[in-house]
Amino acid sequence: MVKGDILGHEFMGEVVELGAAVINLKRGERVVVPFPIACGNCFFCQKAMFSLCENSNPNAGMAEKLWGYSPCGIYGYSHLLGGYAGGQAEYVRVPFADVGPLRVPDSLSDEQVLFLSDILPTGYMAAENCDIQPGDTIAVWGCGPVGQFAIASAQLLGADRVIAIDRFPERLRLAAMKLGAETIDYSEDNVLEALKELTGGRGPDACIDAVGMEAHAYHDIAYAYDRMKQAMLLESDRPVALREAIMACRSGGTISVAGVYGGLIDKFPAGALMNRSLTIRTGQTHVQRYMRLLLARIEKGEIDPSFIITHRMKLDEAPAAYRMFRDKQDDCIKVVLTP
Amino acid sequence: MPRKRNLMRADRLGYVVGGVALIVWALRRPGLLRAGVGGLGGWLLYQAYTGSNPMFKPLGIHVNPQPAQPHIAETLVVEEAVTIARPREEVYAFWQRSENLPLAAEGEVELTREAAGEELAWRTMRAEKLMHFGSLTLRDAPGRRGTIVMARLEYVPAGGSLGAVLARVTGRSPQRLVADCLRRARALLETGEAPTTTGQPAGRR
Ligand SMILES: NC(=O)c1ccc[n+]([C@@H]2O[C@H](COP(=O)([O-])OP(=O)(O)OC[C@H]3O[C@@H](n4cnc5c(N)ncnc54)[C@H](O)[C@@H]3O)[C@@H](O)[C@H]2O)c1
Ligand SMILES: [Zn+2]
Repeated sequence: MVKGDILGHEFMGEVVELGAAVINLKRGERVVVPFPIACGNCFFCQKAMFSLCENSNPNAGMAEKLWGYSPCGIYGYSHLLGGYAGGQAEYVRVPFADVGPLRVPDSLSDEQVLFLSDILPTGYMAAENCDIQPGDTIAVWGCGPVGQFAIASAQLLGADRVIAIDRFPERLRLAAMKLGAETIDYSEDNVLEALKELTGGRGPDACIDAVGMEAHAYHDIAYAYDRMKQAMLLESDRPVALREAIMACRSGGTISVAGVYGGLIDKFPAGALMNRSLTIRTGQTHVQRYMRLLLARIEKGEIDPSFIITHRMKLDEAPAAYRMFRDKQDDCIKVVLTP
Repeated sequence: MPRKRNLMRADRLGYVVGGVALIVWALRRPGLLRAGVGGLGGWLLYQAYTGSNPMFKPLGIHVNPQPAQPHIAETLVVEEAVTIARPREEVYAFWQRSENLPLAAEGEVELTREAAGEELAWRTMRAEKLMHFGSLTLRDAPGRRGTIVMARLEYVPAGGSLGAVLARVTGRSPQRLVADCLRRARALLETGEAPTTTGQPAGRR
């Protein structure tokens, strides 16, 4: 990112102007915009892998250098993914608008549908990737917005038990009280031991990493090592939760990674992965694939995503909102900004 | 096994001059610096002797010592490929328009071969600033996934292969231009537009 970039990849709004080829939308309609920019016609879009769209990242060459091939473009995000101006603004340009935006019914409020843009589908895809069977126990690292929706989705998809892991009491409380998850506070307990005990000595059937590359840890030698290597620019990401999820997962199980990683990691437990027949599934969310189905679930009252909102602020107050979110002040979980 | 020669002739001379200069400079420095810089100079001389720079392969620098164009002594070769989910005739027709060819912006080109639906080749007019020639080969992708386009471009780099290495690192290399050209073609043919962020608004920079 560079100074002056317009942030925001989770947004909705009213259509004010349309390109000539967009015939499925009208001015004045209320739409939610999925964060992956996808053309709808390429090999990947045709396979409903929208976040891998080959035609939407004008900086694909940069991404190829780092990752081999390029995924789709994303609003208000790294320039590796196009550097498109984002949605924390009064107006935003939406490329391929005949493919992405979802019209939403008047019967639902903005706050009920806004998270269809990213984190609700992200939690849902994380749970879907676990291939949940009756009787399964799912463990979720991270009780931020993505973790909360992963917990709720695992339940919708038939998990018997969900175990949520974090250190912030308000987040653990939300997972327990609102969603009925069991919780582990990693500032107090040894997560691996606690999970082993809670799952009758076998481990969770699937593990969801809803933390990503900025994971935090106490008294962990590998964590100290990661921080040191990051400081020396020898490692870009801090995969504490990912390592733990792999070690914790039952043999033959799945690790579903929703948390974002950007570059290289160290001390990756490849031995556990290989010898215990584990599967890793991951990706930027193919949001367009899930929006309609999740909208239907919201309409039926099966889930009301607005439960994660803790703060509502004006766009002008964004800097304060970012500070609060970063420092986890005032029990902040999710802030919604309006112009 | 002798290493494959991959330095350009002009480079070899540059490596000798650079290597000798580094060693001479290093001779009058304190121990550690002398060892480091002197070693670097020695390494350059060794590369000039073998005619081979081991960094070229990982950097994707490929020299052709005998290009097919008689008046050009040596070229750097770029190869890129793309799969486009459109029929071969349509893809071919797109590239028959010479403004769509890779590096078209670098100067005027003339088509030297046109095999309908299969191959297009071109070269620059003699006096252009970047001398290059190249070809596009088309074939059907398996499983009716459209058309595979293989691009091959040869050019005479300003500044020899060192210039080419610098260009690669800064991202303004012919390699990137060819890859971007193929990507743009795919976007245009598959969707009718090539997305861009040029001219979009921003906050105070
Ligand atoms: N895959 C996608 O398409 C996609 C989409 C949206 C967000 N994300 C990613 O999902 C991740 C979570 O997003 P979020 O908005 O919920 O972020 P967040 O920062 O609000 O939540 C992360 C939570 O993880 C907890 N945590 C940190 N270290 C931990 C550890 N070692 N063990 C257990 N918990 C730990 C933190 O306390 C925090 O509550 C981020 O990496 C985000 O970038 C991915
Ligand atoms: Zn696409």
